[in-house]
Amino acid sequence: MGASAPYVELHAHSAFSFLDGASTPLELAAAAARLGYPAFALTDHDGVWGSMEFAEACKDLGVRPLTGAEVTLREGAHLTLLVEDAAGYRNLCRLLTQAHSQTRDGGGRGPGQPSVTLEQLEEHAQGLVCLSGCARDGAVAGQWERGETAAGAAIAKRLLSAFGPDSFLIELQRPYWRRDRARNRWLVLLAERLGARCVATGNVHSHSRERARLQDVFVAVRLGMTLEESEPGRRGNSTSALAAPAAMAARFGEHPRAVAETLYLAERLRFDLTKELGYRYPKAEDPDADRSLVEVCRSLLAERYAGSAHRAKAEERLETELGVIRHLGLSGFFLLHRDLLELAREVAAEVRGPDSARSVMPPGRGRGSSVSSIVCYLTGLSHVDPVQADLFSGRFLNEEVKTMPDIDLDFPRDIREKLIPEVHRRYGKDHSALVAAFPTYRPRGIVRDLGKAFGLPAEEIDQVAKMVGFHERKGELERDVGAAIGERRMSSPRWRALLSLCDEAMGIPRHASQHPGGMVISTRPLIDVCPVVPAAMEGRQIVQWDKDSCADAGFLKIDLLGLGMLSAVERCVEEVGRARGERLDLSRIPYDDAETYESIRAADTVGVFQIESRAQMQMLPRTRPRDLDDLTVQVALVRPGPIQGGAVHPYIERRKRLREDPGYEVPYEHPLLKPVLEDTLGTIVFQEQVIEVAMGLAGFSSSEAEGLRRAMSRKRSEALMLAYHDSFISGAEAQDVPKEVAERVWAQIQGFSGFGFPKAHSAAFGLLAYQSAWLRIHYAPEFLCALLNEQPMGFYPPDALVHEAQRRGVRVAGPDANRSGVPCHVERRRGGLVVRVGLGYVKGVRKEEMESLVAERERGGLYEGIADLASRAGAGRAGLELLAWAGALDALVGTGSEPATLPDPNLGAGRRRALWGAGASGTGVRHAEGMQMALPLEPPETPALEPLGDWEQVIADYRSTGMVLGRHPMSLMRGELGPRVCRSDDLERLLSGRVVEVAGLVVARQRPETAKGVVFMLLEDERGTVNLVVPPPVYESYRALVRAAPFVRAKGRLERHEGTTNVVVSQLGDLDGLVSATEKAKQDPRRRTRERAAAELQAVAPLANSFGRGRR
Amino acid sequence: MSPRPRRLYMPRPVSVRAERGGRPGAVEGLAVEAVREEWLLEDLWWSPEPIRRHYFELALADGRVATVFRCARSGRWYRQRA
Repeated sequence: MGASAPYVELHAHSAFSFLDGASTPLELAAAAARLGYPAFALTDHDGVWGSMEFAEACKDLGVRPLTGAEVTLREGAHLTLLVEDAAGYRNLCRLLTQAHSQTRDGGGRGPGQPSVTLEQLEEHAQGLVCLSGCARDGAVAGQWERGETAAGAAIAKRLLSAFGPDSFLIELQRPYWRRDRARNRWLVLLAERLGARCVATGNVHSHSRERARLQDVFVAVRLGMTLEESEPGRRGNSTSALAAPAAMAARFGEHPRAVAETLYLAERLRFDLTKELGYRYPKAEDPDADRSLVEVCRSLLAERYAGSAHRAKAEERLETELGVIRHLGLSGFFLLHRDLLELAREVAAEVRGPDSARSVMPPGRGRGSSVSSIVCYLTGLSHVDPVQADLFSGRFLNEEVKTMPDIDLDFPRDIREKLIPEVHRRYGKDHSALVAAFPTYRPRGIVRDLGKAFGLPAEEIDQVAKMVGFHERKGELERDVGAAIGERRMSSPRWRALLSLCDEAMGIPRHASQHPGGMVISTRPLIDVCPVVPAAMEGRQIVQWDKDSCADAGFLKIDLLGLGMLSAVERCVEEVGRARGERLDLSRIPYDDAETYESIRAADTVGVFQIESRAQMQMLPRTRPRDLDDLTVQVALVRPGPIQGGAVHPYIERRKRLREDPGYEVPYEHPLLKPVLEDTLGTIVFQEQVIEVAMGLAGFSSSEAEGLRRAMSRKRSEALMLAYHDSFISGAEAQDVPKEVAERVWAQIQGFSGFGFPKAHSAAFGLLAYQSAWLRIHYAPEFLCALLNEQPMGFYPPDALVHEAQRRGVRVAGPDANRSGVPCHVERRRGGLVVRVGLGYVKGVRKEEMESLVAERERGGLYEGIADLASRAGAGRAGLELLAWAGALDALVGTGSEPATLPDPNLGAGRRRALWGAGASGTGVRHAEGMQMALPLEPPETPALEPLGDWEQVIADYRSTGMVLGRHPMSLMRGELGPRVCRSDDLERLLSGRVVEVAGLVVARQRPETAKGVVFMLLEDERGTVNLVVPPPVYESYRALVRAAPFVRAKGRLERHEGTTNVVVSQLGDLDGLVSATEKAKQDPRRRTRERAAAELQAVAPLANSFGRGRR
Repeated sequence: MSPRPRRLYMPRPVSVRAERGGRPGAVEGLAVEAVREEWLLEDLWWSPEPIRRHYFELALADGRVATVFRCARSGRWYRQRA
């Protein structure tokens, strides 16, 4: 059918025409193949963001992909450009780069409109075919629409002269608008007059008619209007959906030559994006690269393994790896990485300073599969000895790899911030850029964006958005909407319409952003191989492709990732040096510290890297890790791959059996699996075990097995996975493996589906988990301080981190204008070390004001009062009031509060007086040139003020710093809760199986995709935390409470099992009434109503982190 | 007394004889000489009263130009001032 199709589509938009196209490139490619298109052009607005994804998908589906873009001219008109050859592609990339070069100059939140001038277009015409543009906004047709026919003809003439009669064509479209025929008649006449040919195009905006509604909504979202308001900007009907070639030919029945022209033109466009990029990375063509790498590695090996028992094994492994690297021509690749690491070393030395305790630390550390390579270990790209750790390097390096191996490097955030611009400087701005990322629509974004477009009330949108989660199953959103706003409102036509589009919108890219740290470097100017555009962050730029497209293009991608815990660990080491004068070298700490392992086994791991989540805490007392190898498995175990692959329970069970009986024989599905699954007791936990299993059981070659692993981790995996299934089963049968065994193992592989860690990555993360656990045990105040300074990170909000540390005896003091720095720090006070909250933690203050406040204090001595502070510190009244609310000025009004490990009875009075003082003092005035200081006039004497009540203090604390250091809100409610409600620590004394009632602040909620609808909640009260397990029926009954209430009370069955304690919930309630009642009972009923107290606490209580949204 | 407000462009039912393929062959008994334009309007699909109309701008046998549409929901024909 394809060969005889009468029409080829030469103008189509995917979702990478952000908020205009409504289908992904994959959907368009699949629909084009289904409809029998032999070739198909993707022409997104001002970009080739989706072109590689489209080209790769088309190739798999037998459609010839054509590359192009619809560019915007300076005055806003559109032109369609199609690439004919490699020179044309280069010109398109340069044009698009120029189009975007000014888009971040406006200083607004979003990018400006990309555009090119006609002159730029004329300079880059070679190798491109130019079509005159779409019906409404086209450079020629658009002029006709506005009655400017002479101007339209003039532009057409100019473009004809620039591109030539073979490469400039008049574009005819039939969008079923009112004046289609008249417009096309005029365009045909114009073409005849100029001697140009006409070509028909469909201006496709979706792959199916059903998707056209979403396209309408996207237009409204893009224009920031409701659907009604956006009517002139919308397409008016659904005919911009992809139609079959014959239907398109019929649509242009009056212009058969323009239809035939699509075939001629498509035939001429022979450029293949997947083959002709000509990309090279620096050092790729260095003739001495092989020799240099060998020399470097051998000399480093002699140094590192001097006297080691592993030396012979290491030498053997090095020679094998060097052989593979030589064979693949990748010596230059490793040398380039080494160069980068040297650059990172220089940057780290500058950032850390020579005297810092951090200066002994390496600049960064490897993660991912590269950690398994001895070459990486020797060149400093990895910090884990792969020989000692027995890491398999086949996933990273084998003779048959087809794409560039990945080397991921983690850096502390501050070093990474400086390193990225340094890489630009070293390799040139035209030669290096960050990789793009495309945030896609998820339920919350859908509700917010689409809700506005449908004109739904802002309060309803807010209510629903707060409740919907990050991971939503089909139909879930509807239940959330019902729970948030009620069934009646949900059944309104607009909410119904919104809900009908949710599944369609899920996963559609919304805009372009930057990858967390992936960089590409090229010897050819990058702008010749992919357009480069400015990123939102000043001084950064991105290529128009994401990591998958960059990998498909064969780009060398280097991941320079910022890892919050790495920063926290470094800060902690620095703080230990500052507070205690001790210099820690984390590479030399004891790795068998009993106290650290005891805490890990007891799941006492809040704040510890990777093993702090509720799921990990439930597992740790059962797996009982004893060493770094166990932690390596532990880190990898709580991932969707091992969970869905059915590895977790067998692993836990077999560990238990082995503990009880060291002679226990671990069962394997087949003896062939024993060598590859021995470390993980017969289960598939690590990514490379999939490769090893496929090779061992089914006789796959290493590249076949690597192909399987890639198929599992890519978006287009399902069809490919089926193909691999057949060869897996037949391969296993050829090795005398019974079919049912092969099928069972395949099911494990499929369940794993790529969402797992490579062992090497786990080893790197396991090590960091141990180091963070060790610091937490032995340097608790400094560790808490470092976590507070590196927020946001991890699973717990600062409030919960502080409370947990306080329960372990760590003293925490509130912000103080005479003691705090801008970040938090550790100070020595009577009775030991205290974590002092920084002034920067006070919400709403200007960082530069706090810096100048601290600098002036260090220069001129302590502040003697609020007037002194106001006249010297350079903070405005607003800043002073915020500090007063946070209690940071208490000491200046004479309460002299000590660290708030215990509530200070005078605290409330101090705050009121400080507020009075801040309001009454003369304060500075901000000018463009800086701050005009106030005169040091003492404020009038403070009148007798009532101290803040308990609730008022809680609310003030949450509002100003997000943390309560004094009395826990639950302790204020305790009296009202009644005797039946247990405290968290009571649960340890009660019998398992008993029905209990608990209440607390919701610290975290988790609804893992793998837990079949069960929701896990973590409550905190004044004594500790309680795990709640909310079964699906209970969740359905209390959906709104589970998703959004800051405080809940719960009734359920206490379950204690192998060291873990949970309450399986049967009933839930909120505590709003209780807050109100407490407030009424204890506070002044004159000014505060019960409702107001409850509402205020609801508004300011810290948002619970969702475990499903790890933010590392 | 001011005249009662009147809605402009209000569609009015009209009798149309449709040919095979759905194009109008005659409007209120007058033969259609030519279809000058043909377009589609699909709007307000999110409301209780969505619009789906197939419009035709016609040259009639008496020389007049008429704009008619067929409502996809009701199957009825309407005339509308353009």
